[in-house]
Amino acid sequence: MRQEDISEIWFEHEGTPLKWHYPIGLLFDLLASSSALPWNITVHFKGFPEKDLLHCPSKDTIEAHFMSCVKEADALKHKSQVINEMQKKDHKQLWMGLHNDRFDQFWAINRKLMEYPAEESGFRYIPFRIYQTTTERPFIQKLFRPVATDGQLHTLGDLLKEVCPSVIAPEDGERKNQVMIHGIEPMLETPLQWLSEHLSYPDNFLHISIIPQPTD
Amino acid sequence: MEEDEFFGEKTFQHYCAEFIKHSQQIGDGWEWRTSKDCSDGYMCKIHFQIKNGTVVSHPGTSAHVQTCLLMEEALELPLDDSEVTEAAAATEVIKYEYHVLYSCSYQVPVLYFRASFLDGRPLSLKDIWEGVHECYKMRLQQGPWDTITQQEHPILGQPFFVLHPCKTNEFMTPVLKNSRKINRNVNYITSWLSIVGPVVGLNLPLSYARAASQNE
Repeated sequence: MRQEDISEIWFEHEGTPLKWHYPIGLLFDLLASSSALPWNITVHFKGFPEKDLLHCPSKDTIEAHFMSCVKEADALKHKSQVINEMQKKDHKQLWMGLHNDRFDQFWAINRKLMEYPAEESGFRYIPFRIYQTTTERPFIQKLFRPVATDGQLHTLGDLLKEVCPSVIAPEDGERKNQVMIHGIEPMLETPLQWLSEHLSYPDNFLHISIIPQPTD
Repeated sequence: MEEDEFFGEKTFQHYCAEFIKHSQQIGDGWEWRTSKDCSDGYMCKIHFQIKNGTVVSHPGTSAHVQTCLLMEEALELPLDDSEVTEAAAATEVIKYEYHVLYSCSYQVPVLYFRASFLDGRPLSLKDIWEGVHECYKMRLQQGPWDTITQQEHPILGQPFFVLHPCKTNEFMTPVLKNSRKINRNVNYITSWLSIVGPVVGLNLPLSYARAASQNE
């Protein structure tokens, strides 16, 4: 290709432009979970789909987007108190830890985002997004507390029943969908607070994919 | 699900309904749109602007009629050779689309917007930035959280520009405190939009404020 023909890079899988601002694992679960690894995607240097994808002019854009998600998650968990109390260098450390794949560096800061007051049983609200390819809407995100008024911990099943009941409504007892996080199907009885603390993505969100049961 | 904390979704929808009522009275073009698979929705307005800065609007007409009137005006320009360049420059019409959504994470309204030429070509962040008045630019450039970024529209899934919502409470609290002090009714949406709108070329006629103070 000639230099002058090359414009912004973008990625695509079976006709679907891939959103760079979504975690790669989420994209795989949502679009290609039945594929064998390595996941083959197509790289484009022309014809950037303006209507579908955000522009990513530099690495700073990725950092800004990541930090924006972390901040939003903390708004839900702690009314932004924990993230706002941190210094700029702590925010930088969080990003650099992710960028350089430094687990300890990342968790030195992230563990503070996973704490909650001793008198509480969990976060204020759980940061989550539920994705389905069958809907026009990109994801479902609502306010949902980890603990019920009677003190019982809400489960993954409770969350789904509340925000997308059609997913696990057993019409003939057989579930039509898989509920997937990080490529696995957690039991619906798992407490949501536990999932949020241990199975969140680096941006502190639980990204949950609802995909049709594989037909083999 | 918890609602109506400081500014819940139901309160948001109520203020939007009041706002749209007045918009209909003066033909300002705001509409309410609902998402297909959910009870939530957002306010939407389209307006057209000729690139040299003149806002063309025809109060009392729908967005569709506005487009037709605008094209008529644009096409009325003589097209003989000597004036072709002038005509081309004058017919640079930009379509601005403004959406007001509710953020449950920050519990405030958020302004999403995008702009394109009539042939569908979108405006870039650089173009948008050029349209921001000088007096706002400095303020916006000061903090990463006060700036305009491209984000995915949470209901449509398409790229839009957004004014980050995390500082909204900061500037709205004094407005609301003061209105309570002087015992005057305030429509949160009207007050908020009159502050953030002008930054991105969206102005509100004064009659909105008068309508708000008359409402119970």
